[in-house]
Amino acid sequence: MTEQVSIALGQGSSCWGCFQSLIDIHLKLADVLPLLDIKYWQAVVDYKLSDLESYPDKSIAVGVYEGMARTEEDVHLLKTLRAKCKILIAFGTCSCFGGIPGMANFYDIEDCYDVKFRNNKTFSDGEVPSENVPPIESIVRPNRHYVDFDVYLPGCPPTSSLILTALTSLIEGKEIELPPHTVCHYCSREKKETPVPEILRPFKGNADPDRCLLEQGYICLGSATWGLCEGQCVNKGVTCRGCFGPPPPITQDHGAASISMLGSYAPLLPDELKEQVPDPIGYFWRFDYPSSHLGNMRIKREDAKNAK
Amino acid sequence: MPNDKVIRVDPVTRLEGHGALTIKLGSDGKVKDVQFNVGSTRFFEKFLEGRPMEEAPRITPRICGICPIPHHLASVKAVEAAWDVTPPPAAVKLRRLLIEAKQLSSHAIHFYALAAPDFVFGPFADPSVRNVAAVLKHLPDVAVQAIKLMEFGQELCRTVGAKAIHPTTAIPGGMLSPLKEDERDEWLKKVPEMLENINKTVELAKNVVNMYIDVVTKVAVTPTYYIGLVNDGKLDIYDGKVRVMDPDGKTVAEFEPKDYTNYYGEHIPGHSYATHIYYKPAGYPDGIWRANTLARCNVADEMATPLANEALKEMREVVGRPSHHTFAYHWARIIEMVQAAEWIKTLLEDPEIVSTDVKLSDVEPKAGNGVGIVEAPRGTLLHNYECDEKGIITKANLIVATNNNIAGIEKSLMDAARFVFEQKGHEKLKLPDPLVKT
Ligand code: SF4
Ligand code: SF4
Ligand code: SF4
Repeated sequence: MTEQVSIALGQGSSCWGCFQSLIDIHLKLADVLPLLDIKYWQAVVDYKLSDLESYPDKSIAVGVYEGMARTEEDVHLLKTLRAKCKILIAFGTCSCFGGIPGMANFYDIEDCYDVKFRNNKTFSDGEVPSENVPPIESIVRPNRHYVDFDVYLPGCPPTSSLILTALTSLIEGKEIELPPHTVCHYCSREKKETPVPEILRPFKGNADPDRCLLEQGYICLGSATWGLCEGQCVNKGVTCRGCFGPPPPITQDHGAASISMLGSYAPLLPDELKEQVPDPIGYFWRFDYPSSHLGNMRIKREDAKNAK
Repeated sequence: MPNDKVIRVDPVTRLEGHGALTIKLGSDGKVKDVQFNVGSTRFFEKFLEGRPMEEAPRITPRICGICPIPHHLASVKAVEAAWDVTPPPAAVKLRRLLIEAKQLSSHAIHFYALAAPDFVFGPFADPSVRNVAAVLKHLPDVAVQAIKLMEFGQELCRTVGAKAIHPTTAIPGGMLSPLKEDERDEWLKKVPEMLENINKTVELAKNVVNMYIDVVTKVAVTPTYYIGLVNDGKLDIYDGKVRVMDPDGKTVAEFEPKDYTNYYGEHIPGHSYATHIYYKPAGYPDGIWRANTLARCNVADEMATPLANEALKEMREVVGRPSHHTFAYHWARIIEMVQAAEWIKTLLEDPEIVSTDVKLSDVEPKAGNGVGIVEAPRGTLLHNYECDEKGIITKANLIVATNNNIAGIEKSLMDAARFVFEQKGHEKLKLPDPLVKT
């Protein structure tokens, strides 16, 4: 038997979907699990955080971090994993870019507290919890502001087959090789290179099942998005919202690229575009606002405020 | 008090998400307080504001990777309620197929991966073996049947929802993709093996329940209110009215989702970012309710499918109705898994499931206020959005399944802690030899 690879899996603030996708390799688990020596995985094995903290630095071969760092505890776990593991993987779009929960940065944290704890339809005059819970960071910073990663595995969540490919490479000690194509490459729809007449919201009409959705007017981020998902939405009639982030180099600004993509397909005047796209920031920066150029300015603003 | 002792379990393992447990013991050895500390939150209620409402079903699944499908569907139902849209019947059948498939895989994973290690290896086995990887090693047959059930459920979700995790096909007015006939045929072929694995699981579960009957009937027996969806009195996870049962087993409310604010209270605890939901007319903490498998089996008069209904009767003979036995949640989970399997078979055999009439083409946004409720594996899930005349969200209130249970979890942990620390009851429990000795 090949020697076991030691691994620690940590969960920041996340939805568990990336880990669920790992579990969804199904019967392959029987091949992969015996090759892994799981040193920490809170939801699955009964080791405590103090166990993880007590391992010597760089003593674990692989670390995996799911989610973004919303609380001080998340930041601590992220840094601990970095210290203990030789290779650290940003696992999933939240971990790579900030993900959907990064949209909280559209607002001030106090406004977030208001609807979550102070006043909403089912409660009033509540207070922000503070006993035996870790403090919340006022802003979501991309994980790569806190630590360096060796591998980025985007996707919300990464597909099970992508995870299996990555794990197999790690176990065999090989580089992970991933195809660079965008989602369009995997989409079975035909592009006729005709301009978009008008932007349609996705519930409008019934789309032609054989033609490019974008060319029919439905906003689709396929041409600006890394196709590691192999086009699972677009091949089922659903527009791409870009959940795998930009194609390599993945540090490029996905939102900005998506907007210029739309501009080249839809020759509309800026005013018309503004009128027809109801929520550009939520459409184009849905998955990667914290790590985008715009999002970085937002973080700087927060830093300036906190420095006062 | 200097002599107080604080026991902290951090993190609580085998629970997805951030949970820690704080138990405070007085100097007299009495349990003074039990806190379940949920240590994170991501503010979906806030950042839904400003989004076009039809995008909510694509955003909110990210609340939970275990129950993205219930979120997707509660969300789309909320939008449809706000815009007065009724999707075609075939679309509703596809959504039901989707949520039943999820129920199947989620219950299978919960039973086998999160609960079974204790039952199989015994609760006092070494942590390095008390996990699912060890189940795989020591009981490969059991593991394979578990994985096949999960695979069936997750892959069926992928067929209907485009993605098994964070599905995308439901849209206000229906579904973006019909089920193709050849897809349906492929799935029908897989049904017999799935049913066989369900039967084996039921056998295993019965065996385990009998072995641990002392634990089931004596530990953490905690009377609370219960909440769940019922459709004509039958247990339903996609649609129906919300029913609330009091600790004595009396139905105290049955209401339409839109009226929820009369019945739902939300307590903001000082020690958890997850709030506590309770039955408002009874106040907090008296009105603490629990959701999830056992709650649904308590509030429903009967199951919606025949084999599941037989199983429910069997359980009620042992634990009664309502059952307050926290460990009976595992039993109820198996009963619901049977119902999901029966539903899946019925739906796949229904010719309408391959209808292409699955989406309206004339949906228009308007200003409105909509509530959508479904049952997630862990309990009743509610989305409520308000929007302006363009259909842009102005306010969101989300009551996720787990929050219905947190106060109940504290209560039952309190009972368990008293049992262990005050009565030393665990020393007297009849525990069987584990199935696998380590
Ligand atoms: S990337 Fe997506 S699936 Fe993974 S934790 Fe974040 S929200 Fe969940
Ligand atoms: S833009 Fe979207 S619909 Fe068009 S080809 Fe690309 S992925 Fe397919
Ligand atoms: S098609 Fe787009 S939205 Fe769908 S999974 Fe792929 S990257 Fe994500």
